[in-house]
Amino acid sequence: MTKIWIKTLAAIILIGLLIAFPKVMGVLNTNIFIGFAIMALFAVSLNLMLGYTGLLSFGHAMFFGLGAYTTALSLKHIDNLPISMALLLGVLGAVVCAVIVSPLLVRLSGTAFSMLTLAFGQLMYIVCLKFREVTGGADGLGGFPVPDLKIPFTGGIDMTDPVNFYYFAITVLGGCILLIWRFTKTPIGSVMISIRDNDNRVDYLGFHVPSVKSLVFIVSGGFAGAAGAIYALFQNMVSTDGVLGLFTSFNPIIMTIIGGVSSFTGPIIGAGLLTILEEFLLRYTDRIALFNGLVLILMIKFAPGGIMGIWDGVYRKWFKRRTLS
Amino acid sequence: MNILETKDLLFDYSGHKVLNGVNLEIREGERHAVIGPNGAGKTTLFNVITGSYKPSSGSIKFQGREISGMKPYQLNRMGVGRSFQITSTFAKQTVFQNARMGILSKQKVRFNPFSKVDKMHKITNETNLLLEQSNLAESADMPAGLLSYGKNRALEICLALSTDPQLVMLDEPTAGISKDETKTLVELIRKLTENKTMVIIEHDMDVVFSLADRITVLHHGEVLACDAPEVIKNDPFVKQAYLGTLEV
Amino acid sequence: MDATTAMYVGQIMHGLAYGMLLFLVASGLTLIFGMMGILNLAHASFFMLSAYFCVSVIHMGGNFWLALLAAPIITAVIGVMVERFLLRGIHASGHIGELILTVGVMMVIMEAVQVFWGTDSHMISVPSALAGMVNIFGLQYPLYRLFVIFLALAILGLLVLFLFKTKMGMIIRAGVSDAEMVEALGINMPLVFMMVFAAGTWLAGVAGVAISPLLSVFPGMADQMGMDAFVVVVVGGFGSLLGAFVSALFFGLLNSFGIQFLPRIAPVLMFVFMVLVLSFKPKGLFGERE
Repeated sequence: MTKIWIKTLAAIILIGLLIAFPKVMGVLNTNIFIGFAIMALFAVSLNLMLGYTGLLSFGHAMFFGLGAYTTALSLKHIDNLPISMALLLGVLGAVVCAVIVSPLLVRLSGTAFSMLTLAFGQLMYIVCLKFREVTGGADGLGGFPVPDLKIPFTGGIDMTDPVNFYYFAITVLGGCILLIWRFTKTPIGSVMISIRDNDNRVDYLGFHVPSVKSLVFIVSGGFAGAAGAIYALFQNMVSTDGVLGLFTSFNPIIMTIIGGVSSFTGPIIGAGLLTILEEFLLRYTDRIALFNGLVLILMIKFAPGGIMGIWDGVYRKWFKRRTLS
Repeated sequence: MNILETKDLLFDYSGHKVLNGVNLEIREGERHAVIGPNGAGKTTLFNVITGSYKPSSGSIKFQGREISGMKPYQLNRMGVGRSFQITSTFAKQTVFQNARMGILSKQKVRFNPFSKVDKMHKITNETNLLLEQSNLAESADMPAGLLSYGKNRALEICLALSTDPQLVMLDEPTAGISKDETKTLVELIRKLTENKTMVIIEHDMDVVFSLADRITVLHHGEVLACDAPEVIKNDPFVKQAYLGTLEV
Repeated sequence: MDATTAMYVGQIMHGLAYGMLLFLVASGLTLIFGMMGILNLAHASFFMLSAYFCVSVIHMGGNFWLALLAAPIITAVIGVMVERFLLRGIHASGHIGELILTVGVMMVIMEAVQVFWGTDSHMISVPSALAGMVNIFGLQYPLYRLFVIFLALAILGLLVLFLFKTKMGMIIRAGVSDAEMVEALGINMPLVFMMVFAAGTWLAGVAGVAISPLLSVFPGMADQMGMDAFVVVVVGGFGSLLGAFVSALFFGLLNSFGIQFLPRIAPVLMFVFMVLVLSFKPKGLFGERE
């Protein structure tokens, strides 16, 4: 029983901190936090494939970008579209894309899977870059209206206000992360971990591996789309390099590797550390990617389990208990 | 009645006929051993029957239905389970989680993205029961990768049987374990395959003669003989070709 | 020769020149993949790095020829160091780690050149012996581009000689089709891996120097080449030199005619091609292994 109490208490404290954050830290830090939360959801959705199912995608920006573009385009072209609908359309765009490409991808694994996702990601990037009538090309798509959030019995909440938007974004992003966490606890969650460990045995136990991979791919893509949709609302601007470029796909990978692939919280911790590192480095240099690259190399080389892997090792040493991924 | 039948089964691996017209009849409920020298095609025969490879030609019938070319997951759902020569478990997961995978499949909870798996008490209970039957209950919370080799082989067999198949195919279950452990494992196999049909590949002749009702001798991808253990033991043809090289 | 024909011949020559350079980069990529199973995402970064070394050699008073000799070798040395100190240790832990590591190397090289050489582009002039035009059947064509085509052909010739006539070449070819078997024969695979990595980065380096008078040297110069080389290797088949050669020329021509006639569709078409090949013939058109 005590465990549940500790958990409840921790949750209450966490929620309290999240509510107090904009009041204590100011608008600038609040915006940085939103950026972090978007990347955290993006990285967690990627880790559903990378850490849980053992599939490395180099094209995850495809879903992030589709979510962002769909939301931006629908707000630009549909009058009086509620913000929630714009968000849902963004997710839908990413899900539809995942449904279309998944039959081709799920038959592959290992390097071949990574390559095909890279190819799809680049294809999407090039298409959006070249068809600038629709997407604005490299200049991007900006200045679309960000509607008020309509809640029954209230007048509607102004979403251009950074603090209001913070509460909205954190609720959506946090909710999505909780849903993904819940997803990993279902039987499908067990199956995907088993696919990572030994897909041949999973096949021999009577599971249809491609359809499980397919579902994971679609769920992962859908949540990446949600992250992209919030990004579009947050920036009020989407561009090919911002949401579809190769580095948009690399970033969540870097975060996941830093935080640790084999735990749920790893990517969130990685996103946090990378955000802090970036904010710190930006004061001295523009060459952030240099540090990201170095950190990535050092992590892969010396701590492939990431921060959580190191923590697990320390924990095991001190408490002589076995923890599991 | 035959539960499994292969007819003129041929498997060609880049010009090399690993299986050269294998005719196999496995009777319902029997324990059937497949023996033969290294390279005779035993594991390939298993792989072709259980769906790892497609046969080049010939037919495989399971309970009267043609199954050649079917995928492993389809065959498992029809009631074919198998173990591997090289232990194939989920090393990073606990023994309980390993066994639960089989139980999930057995209970047809193969594609449920909504329920909490830890809260599915029926699955949990059944998994614990299976582990108890497999003498693995006390290691339930241990990662499979940390088990002793003997226990790992027991888990391998436990996984093969976890989906409750009618036909179990065990590929050298006792490979590489000590005499004592072999005895325990043979007892386990005997207990778990009660009322099932079992086909076993085995090099240890003690195990073969203590378990098998009938024996098939495979040599160069062909069936050399198929009969009761006593007959096989005394078959001069088999002796000359194969058994002479082993201490019986 | 009338104007239209001249334009076509000119486009073909341009396409061939780019295709040959593409082949130099792609051949290294495909050899490394075939041999080690590593898809080196940093490969095009070595191509760029070599171009920057060329800038430095010329800056320090050397001429283009010295740069063409020295820069690829320095690049290969760095390539060997990456293989020896970074990739080798993690070979056992699977391909995902290797793939991500090459991403890290790519990022570091991309940023490092900006730290050391700045973000401006550097012009490299065509060496005086190759300046000017030649007359091909009445078409005035830059001599330097012709030189690039012949340089790449010469290297292709050397590569074929090396792979088919030397013992090392035989080992590498055997390794591409079955690395485990070669290892089982008692051959020092780490050394072979290192050689292949050196050769691969050297080939990219040669292309990097050769392209610099045409393209100038700037931080984004590897972007297109990197993606194009990737597509070439995928379509040509992993580990297949012949495939890389044929598809490099094909995409070189597609590139040069695409810019002329289908500026929007051509790059899209390239990736559609790649997606189709990967989806339906994952071994590539000439490939023997996945």
